[in-house]
Amino acid sequence: MKFLSIILRSLFRSKRRTILTVLFLAVSIFLVATLQSILATLDGFANNPNSSNRIAVRHKVSLTNMLPLRYADWIRQQSEVDGVMALQWFGGIYKDPSNFFANFAAEPEPIIHIFKEEIAEYSEAEWRDFLRDQNGCIVGEALAKKFAWKVGDVIPLQGTIFPINPRLNLRGIYRSKRSSDEQVLYFHYKLLEEGVPFMKGRVGSFWVRAKHPDDVPRLIERIDRHFGDAVEPTLSETENAFQLAFLKMMGDLSTIIHSITAAVLVAILIVSANTMAMAIRERTTEVAVFRAMGFTSSQMLGILMAEGILLALMGGLSGLGLAWLAAGGLRAGVGTVIPWLTDFTIPVDTMLFCLHVTMGLGILSTFIPAYRVVRRPIVEGLRAL
Amino acid sequence: MAPEAIIRCNAVAKSYWRGDLEIPVLQGLDLDIPQGGYYALMGPSGSGKTTLLNLIAGIDRPTGGTIEVCGYELNDLDDDQLAGWRSQHVGFIFQNYNLVPVLNAFENIELPLLLTRLSRRERREKVMEALALVNLTDRLENYPRQLSGGQEQRVAIARAIVTDPEIIVADEPTGALDAKNAEEVMALLERLNTDLGKTILMVTHDPKAAHHARIQIHLEKGVLDRTVEMNR
Repeated sequence: MKFLSIILRSLFRSKRRTILTVLFLAVSIFLVATLQSILATLDGFANNPNSSNRIAVRHKVSLTNMLPLRYADWIRQQSEVDGVMALQWFGGIYKDPSNFFANFAAEPEPIIHIFKEEIAEYSEAEWRDFLRDQNGCIVGEALAKKFAWKVGDVIPLQGTIFPINPRLNLRGIYRSKRSSDEQVLYFHYKLLEEGVPFMKGRVGSFWVRAKHPDDVPRLIERIDRHFGDAVEPTLSETENAFQLAFLKMMGDLSTIIHSITAAVLVAILIVSANTMAMAIRERTTEVAVFRAMGFTSSQMLGILMAEGILLALMGGLSGLGLAWLAAGGLRAGVGTVIPWLTDFTIPVDTMLFCLHVTMGLGILSTFIPAYRVVRRPIVEGLRAL
Repeated sequence: MAPEAIIRCNAVAKSYWRGDLEIPVLQGLDLDIPQGGYYALMGPSGSGKTTLLNLIAGIDRPTGGTIEVCGYELNDLDDDQLAGWRSQHVGFIFQNYNLVPVLNAFENIELPLLLTRLSRRERREKVMEALALVNLTDRLENYPRQLSGGQEQRVAIARAIVTDPEIIVADEPTGALDAKNAEEVMALLERLNTDLGKTILMVTHDPKAAHHARIQIHLEKGVLDRTVEMNR
């Protein structure tokens, strides 16, 4: 602690250089923290613990190929099955394409059973109204708030995949534990089936709920084996695997983000190492004077290392602060376009990762120049003007 | 009875190597300096005076011979022990003052005390004593850039004496000063010697500065050329 004043004063010896280095580190760590948090959020989306006993069944060829609705009858008869629901991504636009949100045509009765973890709270009366009204729909509370919808409003959707423009009556608003689960609209599958001739008796996917997560692998295997020789063979997978495949349509985001992170970290290391090397080299004589006065090499190494680590931590903490502030903005801004990001936050793991990275960078960038300067003979150091 | 020697150099040799070429700087030098002595090391460039000063101050090691200072055989001490020894027994004064630019006068003087177990209050008392001795109590919060060359050197002297070492080594202490400031610094060193009994070993090219010492030691090509006792 006695040396803290020396460390702090030395750190701001060249204010401009210190501030620029801290800013560079802050921006870099902000970038790393934000990108890693986006990845963690998307990973969380594709690893939803609530979905451990849910299976997505779709056409083996692609998501755009349809399956016969009657497949649901056979699936429902399997002893491990707790519920089955026809589900079709509708992809409708509400007024403007920028008002993106997920909207599905679904068999209404099983919705609250299949998604009972997500549709956590709802009004029984509203639910009954929804079941009775074939033009009815239900939405999550966060979505309703975003567009200031209330029960009784008419929500016009413009079809982009299917040639219908349904005008839906909002019959109920449900609440979830996570905001991202409240970004969805469900309407009656019958409306789509009756409005679109080629959807008669056909659907894009079935959502199956197994009685127990342990039953899922066996059920997947049996469904695909049963329909394997059919004209429309199935491809069944866990809901998480399905979501992951869906996300992968955006490209291998994980590889891209990890590559950018690695590039940023290498850049930080080079810039920090250069800054610290310059800062320490300038003080060769001063270090020699300290040692002449009786400071040991270890003490000098400790003081210089503390400076480097402190500098890195200042940058790292500023970057994390920026990322934390930006997370709120991202939730409010991008979250409206990409619903998975409505729960976006900087996870504790990511913060710890960034703090470890900045400390590691501080140590790596400072150690070599500091070690060299404290190992230099004092008389050489005193001459190094 | 002559005072006991505080510095004993016995057949001290020092060579530097430039590749395979050995460059001898000191060649078997014998020298005893008594406690309370005030010595000026003189000689042409390359005669080995700064090297001898560095060896006696324990910031360099001889390639031959032994050096005993304040009862310690310096060759027997490892680097950390030598650092500890320096902090207790030697005060340094450099030609270019070598104050830390980001610390004020008070903090610069306090630096060697950070290596002791003294409390903050005790350190402050010692720093104020040292500042009073160099007559700079009104400048304690000034940074080196806010001080004149003479004041900087006086702060450096205060830093050298704040731990109350037996020996003060000064390498060209007036080399960067004008005549008036040089005279003030020399007067201060003289007081440290006469009033506080510090043993002073000073390297200088300046005959006026050397005149303040009691004994001038002239080196020539790494050997003792002559010793001149000053009549003052």
